[in-house]
Amino acid sequence: MNGLVLASAGNVLVWIVWVVAAFSCLASGVAVISFSNAFYSALALIGNLASLAVMYLLLSAEFVAAAQVLVYAGAVVVMFLFVIAYVGPRRETPWSGGPGWQTVAAVCAAGALLVEIVVAVGMQASGTLSPESNVGATFGTPAWIGRVFLTDHLFAFEITSVVLLVAAVGGVILGAHTRRTDPGIITPAPTREAEREPEPEVVH
Amino acid sequence: MAGPDVAWYLAVAAFLFGIGALGVLIRRNTLVVLLSLELMLNAGNLALIALSRHWHNGAGQIFALAVMAVAASEVCVGLGLVVALNRRDLSLDVDRLSELRG
Amino acid sequence: MTGGSWLCLLAPLGGTILITLCGTRIPRVAAGWIATTSCFVAFAGAIWAFFGVHDQHFRPGLQLCDASSGPCRGEITTAWTWLQSGNFHVGLQLLVDPLSSVMMLIVSGVGGLIVLYSIGYMDGDDEERRYFAYMAFFVFSMLLLVEGGNLLLLLVGWGLVGLSSYLLIGFWHERPSAVQAAKKAFVMNAFGDATMALAFFILIAHTSSLSFVSAFNVHLSSTAANLVALGLLGGAAAKSAQIPLQTWLPDAMEGPTPVSALIHAATMVTAGVYLIARTHPIFEQARTVELIAAGTGALTLLVAGLIALVQTDIKRVIAYSTMSQIGYMFLGAGVGAYANGMFHLMTHAFFKALLFMTAGLAIHALAGEQDIRRMRGLGRLMPFTKWCFLAGALALVGIPPFSGFFSKDSIVASAAALGTWYGWIFWVCGIAGALLTGLYTFRLWFLVFPGEPSPFVREHYHDHHGREGAWTMLLPVGILAVLATVGGWLQWSPRWTPFTDWLAPAAPTLQAAIPTNTQEYYTSAATVLAGVAGIVVAWAIYSERSMAIPAMPFWRRTLENKFWFDALYDRIFYAPAVWTAGLLRREFEEPVVLQTGPDLGEATLETGGLVRRIQTGLLRTYVLFLAVGAAGVVLAFLIAK
Repeated sequence: MNGLVLASAGNVLVWIVWVVAAFSCLASGVAVISFSNAFYSALALIGNLASLAVMYLLLSAEFVAAAQVLVYAGAVVVMFLFVIAYVGPRRETPWSGGPGWQTVAAVCAAGALLVEIVVAVGMQASGTLSPESNVGATFGTPAWIGRVFLTDHLFAFEITSVVLLVAAVGGVILGAHTRRTDPGIITPAPTREAEREPEPEVVH
Repeated sequence: MAGPDVAWYLAVAAFLFGIGALGVLIRRNTLVVLLSLELMLNAGNLALIALSRHWHNGAGQIFALAVMAVAASEVCVGLGLVVALNRRDLSLDVDRLSELRG
Repeated sequence: MTGGSWLCLLAPLGGTILITLCGTRIPRVAAGWIATTSCFVAFAGAIWAFFGVHDQHFRPGLQLCDASSGPCRGEITTAWTWLQSGNFHVGLQLLVDPLSSVMMLIVSGVGGLIVLYSIGYMDGDDEERRYFAYMAFFVFSMLLLVEGGNLLLLLVGWGLVGLSSYLLIGFWHERPSAVQAAKKAFVMNAFGDATMALAFFILIAHTSSLSFVSAFNVHLSSTAANLVALGLLGGAAAKSAQIPLQTWLPDAMEGPTPVSALIHAATMVTAGVYLIARTHPIFEQARTVELIAAGTGALTLLVAGLIALVQTDIKRVIAYSTMSQIGYMFLGAGVGAYANGMFHLMTHAFFKALLFMTAGLAIHALAGEQDIRRMRGLGRLMPFTKWCFLAGALALVGIPPFSGFFSKDSIVASAAALGTWYGWIFWVCGIAGALLTGLYTFRLWFLVFPGEPSPFVREHYHDHHGREGAWTMLLPVGILAVLATVGGWLQWSPRWTPFTDWLAPAAPTLQAAIPTNTQEYYTSAATVLAGVAGIVVAWAIYSERSMAIPAMPFWRRTLENKFWFDALYDRIFYAPAVWTAGLLRREFEEPVVLQTGPDLGEATLETGGLVRRIQTGLLRTYVLFLAVGAAGVVLAFLIAK
């Protein structure tokens, strides 16, 4: 990969913004998986999404950045927060429970994936971003996105809307109250609990 | 404006993906697992957007938007499941959810 | 005549197959009649072949021939080519010549009589059908041995008679002693088979043939001839129970008495003598080995005679007697008097089978008792048996005019005819053997038959519906008694020798072994005197009780232990083999071979147990596997790139 391109102050500014955004992205990612309180994890996700939006702006994807903030941070995370508040507090230490080998294996697997992607990237990608002048001024604007959606990628557009519809219906059904004739609360059979290995931490 | 190469963005995406994968594999709270899944999806999005910019191909951004929509749907359904589980006073511990019976 | 030989060979085989196929559908006695009929059909075939040979007037000294093209020594009839490898051809050939026709008559005739006798003897046994199938199979095997037109078929017959012997000795397989005896017989015979096979290999290497036509006409180097002859001698000694391979024969008495009569007296054990007579061209090229055979015979006839003096089982006395008489036959064949050896084979078949069968009558009447010390005075109750036994005993000792006289003396005279120092030693052995024969035979006679019946006999004797046995048992005994008496009248050397002349085309007597008339006469006188002396001594010791048995504890012990042969073989062969087997079992079979099954099972279980740990039931585990799989796929992709 080519080295840093110095010279213009704008360039330095871009770099600084990028470093901050990348750092906060990764740090909030770590925070998401680290907090024992799910509420804090969701809040950390907001930070992650915001830093990602900044990076999208740096990549001339204005519409996507806006959509990121609106959809993800505005809707998805809010949903998360609502449900987390609904189900109540749950204490859990992230690194406990289950067989020890599983934790080690998980770290190794994740690390392996990471290394492989980095290697793949290192082998394939090279060269600087094409300068602004090579990219049209309209690249990434809402109008451009809209036109592309309705011409080149119409099929994707329609299918995505169907998916959203199905998800909405499913969410409503799943969240609906049970009818009166249901037996109500169904608790698992006590014997099954006894058969399982005793866990060091209780989630409840 | 020049900035970091596409490789830097992809590296960030890779790290974010790894962090998300780790979270999915390690955490036992279902909700946090779903959050980690979001992280992974976002990493993918970042990679898409970066390469779309690099190759000047709009399809990357379209794909990223589609991914976003699908992620939203998936979260909707997943949270619906969590709510249903909670309704029936079932544990939200992933380790406990090993049977398909209610 | 060739039709006769094929009929003779295949009839008993047909009998066996028929009995086997019918299985339990036929009554037991029907199996006996099938076997007997097949043997008599074989006898008819043998007679047919005999007359064919008689008409043919084969010339001595000529080759064997195929399909009677001109004068020859004997005729070969080939069914098909069995084995072909390069220059080496072996066909399914039968030989029809004077020697084989004599053997065919003996085997099928005496065999038929003994199988008839078995119908009465084995009556009531649960496995009678199996017995008769084995008997018919034995007769077939023996006929194959004597009719085989090449050495390979002879070897096949050789092996099959060994198998039949094993099956029949161990017939009562619930008895561990019978099973042990059968194994012992088979293993010792297998040793002989091995030496014979080695001899055949050398023969093939030198002559590319095993056929009687060609294998005997090649001049072998002296080493090769000696080795081949030694190998053949090894086989003959094993089969005929000569020293040093003789220990199996007394133990073989565990089988039923008719088996002892047929296999271990009349036919199988004489196969060694037949072999030497048949392969005499090879032996004549290895004269030393032939004389070793004669020496073996001389030694065996003495040793067996001595051991027979102290035996207490009636069948074992007769078994050692067989061993001794075959020693005579080996002596005769070894010095080159093949016809004399074969003549003694024929008369021996008659009187030895007779002796065994009368002993069987006695055993049957006393409900299985075989110890002669309990059997005094049986003659009073069983006169027919007594007289038949006496006829056989006199024939055995060689008293004129009974058959043994004519055959035994000529053998001893042939030894004298050699004129060499060893010839005279053989002569002395022959005379001493006659003395011993008289002694042990009439020891047996005086202990069992004359006098007042002992309390044991009085208590246990039971007759068969007023007679001494079933007619199927009495008739063959009677016929054989007649044959034992008159069978020797076929030849009275030196004056009248139709038997020797008959065998001349196939087995001419060596010039060196033809005795002068004087030698014949004084030898005959000496053997008869020795035999009579033996009878007198036996009478003095066992009947009149006027002479006591000399004490001689060392000799008594040695004789009772059969000259320590069994102990020696036990130490040399059996004990190391058992030790090795035990070692292998401990070190190899149990830890490695037997453990393989349980080890495989345990390994499978352990692997399963390991694999089972993957099924944790936890969602996170399965997602982990997903991640690992994804990492693997990407890795493969990267490597491919």
